[in-house]
Amino acid sequence: MKTTRIFAGFFLTVLCTMMFGGTACSQDKKIETIKIKTSAMCNQCKDRIEGGMAFEKGVKDVSLDVETKIVTIKYNTKSTTPDELRKKISKLGYDADDVPCDKVAYEKLPPCCKKDAPKH
Amino acid sequence: MKIHKIILFVFTMAGALSSLSARSQTVQGTVWEKDAGGKVTGLPGVNVFWLGTSKGTFTDAAGRFKLSRSGIKSPKLVVSLLGYHGDTISVSADNSKLSINLVPVVQNLSEVTISGKPDNSFISKLNARQTTVITTGELQRAACCNLAESFETNASVDVSYSDAVTGARQIQLLGLSGIYSQIMTENVPLIRGLATAYGLNYIPGSWMESIQVAKGTSSVIQGYESITGQINVEYKKPETGNKLFVNLFGNSNLRFEANADGSIKINDKLSTSLLIHAADFRHKFDRNGDGFMDMPKVTTLTGFNRWDYIIAGRWVSRLGIKYLYEDRNGGQMDFDKSSFTFDTNGITDNTKRYGIGVKTNRLEAFWKNGIMFHNGAESSLGLIVSGINHQQDGFYGINKYHGHEQNLNANLIFTSQFKANKHRISTGFSYFIDDYSESFLQTRLAYRYQYLPDSVTPTYADKFTLVGDSLVPYIMDRSEWAAGAFFEYTFDIKDKFTLIAGLRGDYNSQFGYFLTPRLHLRLNLTKNLSVRGSVGKGYRSPNLLAENNAVFISQRALFFAPGLSNEEAWNYGLNLTWNFTMFNQKAEFSVDGYRTSFVKQVVVDQDSLPTAVFFYNLDGKSYANVLQAQLIFSPVQRSSVTAAFRLNDVKTTEGGVLVKKAMVNAYKGLLTVSYATKFEKWKFDLTGQLNGPARLPDTQKMPVALQRPAYSPVWFNLLGQITRKFKYFDIYLGGENLTNYRQMDPIVEYDKPWHTHFDASMAWGPIIGISVYAGIRMTIK
Repeated sequence: MKTTRIFAGFFLTVLCTMMFGGTACSQDKKIETIKIKTSAMCNQCKDRIEGGMAFEKGVKDVSLDVETKIVTIKYNTKSTTPDELRKKISKLGYDADDVPCDKVAYEKLPPCCKKDAPKH
Repeated sequence: MKIHKIILFVFTMAGALSSLSARSQTVQGTVWEKDAGGKVTGLPGVNVFWLGTSKGTFTDAAGRFKLSRSGIKSPKLVVSLLGYHGDTISVSADNSKLSINLVPVVQNLSEVTISGKPDNSFISKLNARQTTVITTGELQRAACCNLAESFETNASVDVSYSDAVTGARQIQLLGLSGIYSQIMTENVPLIRGLATAYGLNYIPGSWMESIQVAKGTSSVIQGYESITGQINVEYKKPETGNKLFVNLFGNSNLRFEANADGSIKINDKLSTSLLIHAADFRHKFDRNGDGFMDMPKVTTLTGFNRWDYIIAGRWVSRLGIKYLYEDRNGGQMDFDKSSFTFDTNGITDNTKRYGIGVKTNRLEAFWKNGIMFHNGAESSLGLIVSGINHQQDGFYGINKYHGHEQNLNANLIFTSQFKANKHRISTGFSYFIDDYSESFLQTRLAYRYQYLPDSVTPTYADKFTLVGDSLVPYIMDRSEWAAGAFFEYTFDIKDKFTLIAGLRGDYNSQFGYFLTPRLHLRLNLTKNLSVRGSVGKGYRSPNLLAENNAVFISQRALFFAPGLSNEEAWNYGLNLTWNFTMFNQKAEFSVDGYRTSFVKQVVVDQDSLPTAVFFYNLDGKSYANVLQAQLIFSPVQRSSVTAAFRLNDVKTTEGGVLVKKAMVNAYKGLLTVSYATKFEKWKFDLTGQLNGPARLPDTQKMPVALQRPAYSPVWFNLLGQITRKFKYFDIYLGGENLTNYRQMDPIVEYDKPWHTHFDASMAWGPIIGISVYAGIRMTIK
């Protein structure tokens, strides 16, 4: 019936978006690993940085070590670059190597995550 | 002697000087808290750093820390930990060992505390009553368009359709209909009265933040009406809400829904949200070939505006106003509302089409206020005022229903705790007034065969020739008010023993003075094993027309005995919960048994005669015994499995005989599995429900061709969903009733809806088969 066909089409679209949306369907993608020093302060920062970076274009895996403040990112070289990744971390409100944190995003961080937090 | 003194002095000075320099190099200390019992425990993971710098450290498992002082100009130390009031300490030159006490942030009026990332659904360890909290994570595992559908993956609450035509959902808790549980929104009892029939459909899924299901007798604070338990829905709050959330949903039956909500924080005290929901289902289909629409056409529009004014730790004020419009139309496929006449034309020759239509207009408002006094006893005073204006008009064939309810409810609560939360009292007053204007005008149809003596065999013409009709009005206008006072005492030894004893005294204009005692005990046998017991009473005034809407979709004559009482029951419960580790993850096993025993009840008897429904006072025993076991564990990381099994033994006395209650499954099983990949990019959910046989209303007195089996068969329901998360939105794709199981012939005499035995109220299983759905959720924080 017509309705079945409309719906089949709709579901295929949804399925395709799920599979491929957000990632580049490109050939010979290379996975590289990079370590970036951040200004992460506590476990909340781990959730924020990992959660924030996990869905960025090209990012395959993210892991932050709170002790050393270093975030290890596995990324697809075809979809993103180390500079892009540092910019994204900065937009979350954290320093990334020599890229300072974005001021607006920094203000939005909860008190314990700010690197020079006053009494709250 | 003098030299000795000089040497001693020099050594002391040297010692003092050296220790001074040692002191000036590092600062050490311990961060601790005092728990409810007065014991001092170190706090691990506390962030300790110098003010104005990023030089700092975290306390170790015992709460100790050591920090270097070198290069620090302003010696102020900032100490902070989530859930505690932070502190800034001036460190002077000779402070070497610091002792810092942190005080936890006092939670506000709610009982269930959620800290850290909660599991989707968990039994609250802190609550003395057996309370399961269902969070948004769990709500998003299934299609979940409204409150009724939220319980698809829950082992304790069953959801089913009340009949085969209206699409109304009903729930069952502890073997008894949902009318015996108190359904509240934000602790205000708003789903009651005329809303009992379709009320579960009035709360859209995306508006909810969490649902608490408390089994067994509950608190006396919210009234006397809960018998089997309390279901409380917490809506999204403006102060923690997203800037914008949008959800779009569609399924293979062409049911479309759109939800949107947004919150604005006007300043640090005032915030507001607007939540809207629109649903439209206009596609008629009849897949089981009985001539009736499998699902009614429904159009729903609902909006909710709320304002919160919060002065942290001092005052909380929440104001909300909700409006709902719903139009439901069902019946036979070729039913045409515009050409329909409310008379008996076309009945004898069966040309008249049967249809139903219900239009609802509902307005709800609530205003909750709480003042907190920090007088050492952490007291608070709360005033909750709410109101309902509900109008519902409908027709079922040629019968008409009208209902109008106006309700006002006020509750004043004073709470105070003593000796570091060991003792707590809650006391107060409540008042409500409920004004109903309700009527059902039924046209009873009489056929020639019904007037023939037994010796004469009726012909086909006799059976379908209408000889008369009588209009029987059931007018149930009434006004009910009740005023009461309550007192509840809680004795709590943290993590060991809790006792909650409550008593209420009320005067109700319909049934006089009465007392409601309730008792809860929780004992932690070990750190991981807890026992809960409860016993208590509950009362309610039945709303016979609103709660038995299903019987309107039949030709059954209604007979109400005079002097119908209210309903009164005792509830006893025992629960054992064991927390342990399985596969290196948290696991939980719980067993519980509940018994509800009625002292007074209005029996709805559909068995005595298939052409009638009798309403009379209970004369004999009526009880519901339920035994349930549930296991929750994680076989691998980011996965969860829940397996549950429940036995129901529900009986009532009809016409002097103790019989099994109709439409209650003898047993129910649930197996639900969920798995998520890292960062929850992909989520997979699958749920299977096993339904045991349920006794069906007696059809032995019907003509042989129309008779139904005495019991419904064992059947299995399967549903699943896949969710893919992206940066700003999620997409989900799922299916309901994946095994395509359907109850065939749910309507008796579907081809002759005006005839004596027409009855659509005996639906025990799904009417529509498999349906697939998809949707998108977008959040802007």
